[in-house]
Amino acid sequence: MDNITLASNILFSIGSFPVTNTFLWTVVASVFLMIFFVLIARRMKSVPGGAQNVVEMLLEGAYSFTESVIGPGKPARKIFPLVGTMFIFILFSNFLVYIPGQSALTVYKGGNPVPVFRAIMSDYGLVLVMTLISVITTQIVSFAVLGPFKYIGKFINLKGPLDFFLGLMDLVGEIAKVISLSFRLFGNIFAGEVLTAVILFLMPFFAPLPFMFLGLLTAVVQAFVFAVLTLVFTSMVIESSSEEVK
Amino acid sequence: MELLGALGLDWKILLAQFFNFAILVFVLWRFAYKPIFKFLEERKNKIEEGVKNAEQATQKLIEIGEKEKEVLIEAKKEALNMINEAKDNADKKGNEIIKRAQEEASSVIVKEREKFNQEKIEIFKDMRNNLSELVILAVEKVIEEKMNNEKDREIIKKALNN
Repeated sequence: MDNITLASNILFSIGSFPVTNTFLWTVVASVFLMIFFVLIARRMKSVPGGAQNVVEMLLEGAYSFTESVIGPGKPARKIFPLVGTMFIFILFSNFLVYIPGQSALTVYKGGNPVPVFRAIMSDYGLVLVMTLISVITTQIVSFAVLGPFKYIGKFINLKGPLDFFLGLMDLVGEIAKVISLSFRLFGNIFAGEVLTAVILFLMPFFAPLPFMFLGLLTAVVQAFVFAVLTLVFTSMVIESSSEEVK
Repeated sequence: MELLGALGLDWKILLAQFFNFAILVFVLWRFAYKPIFKFLEERKNKIEEGVKNAEQATQKLIEIGEKEKEVLIEAKKEALNMINEAKDNADKKGNEIIKRAQEEASSVIVKEREKFNQEKIEIFKDMRNNLSELVILAVEKVIEEKMNNEKDREIIKKALNN
């Protein structure tokens, strides 16, 4: 119980680089996903079977969803690698929690037990990085679509006091996006971690099951929400620019 | 700053996380999504082509069936025409042959009749000549005595002409 911390725990250090448990598992999950998908891509068969079926369904479904949100053709093709990977990565990371027995692994560091495993998305650093990538991507798209003057003009509008205020609110909104997007994912997964730990501590048998099912739902929903919000922010930028052109 | 520390934010880890995620996105995009989507697109095209080909094939089959029927009907018509023509021709030729045969036959008959008549006339002539001599001889023998030639002949001729 005493090992639940807001920050992820440092397992060991390579030189001056602290390797936290979440970072370790991030690398493991990334490497696994890369190997899995590249192997599938290498061994594509005309008559799909097994894992290829699942991957095809996942990618085709995700891509058609992307197209339905942002419009078919070039924009969907450009944004899909980012949002698709976000969805797959977050989903896979959240599912890793359900490997049985992993929460029992601890190492002792300076006399204190440090859990080897921690839900990957309960590392605020990683979530923040992904959120920043998401928000900065939408800013880059906005910049590319609107051009430099209009892009700056969106935030600093000197046409009137109301417009100026609205421009400032836009700026605040972009920063709020970072906070809301990152804390939504982090909060959900971290809360799930804490809740599971508490319930396991109080009633180790059967009682955690409903919470685990709820956690499963959260795992899917949060992965979906994070990716879709990124997608929606981008599509909003593109749509607003096309409206201005009209 | 205290909050950042409590959340475990360390710029080294953030940088590492960023590169990790960037590599993940790049690798998945370059070596998984791209080839997989390309493959799916190719397969889709292949299937579309296959379906189109199958449709075309059935269409062609139907067309061929119709053409076959048409050709058969035409062929039957032509055959019937040919048979009819042949029949007509045969009839015509037969009639012609019969006609010609009849004509030939009639002409032969006419010729033969003429020949016969002429022969008859000649025979009659010969007979007349022979007869006159015979009669003369007979009469000479009967009479045994010659009258003068002129009288003799006159009498004979009279007798014959009667």
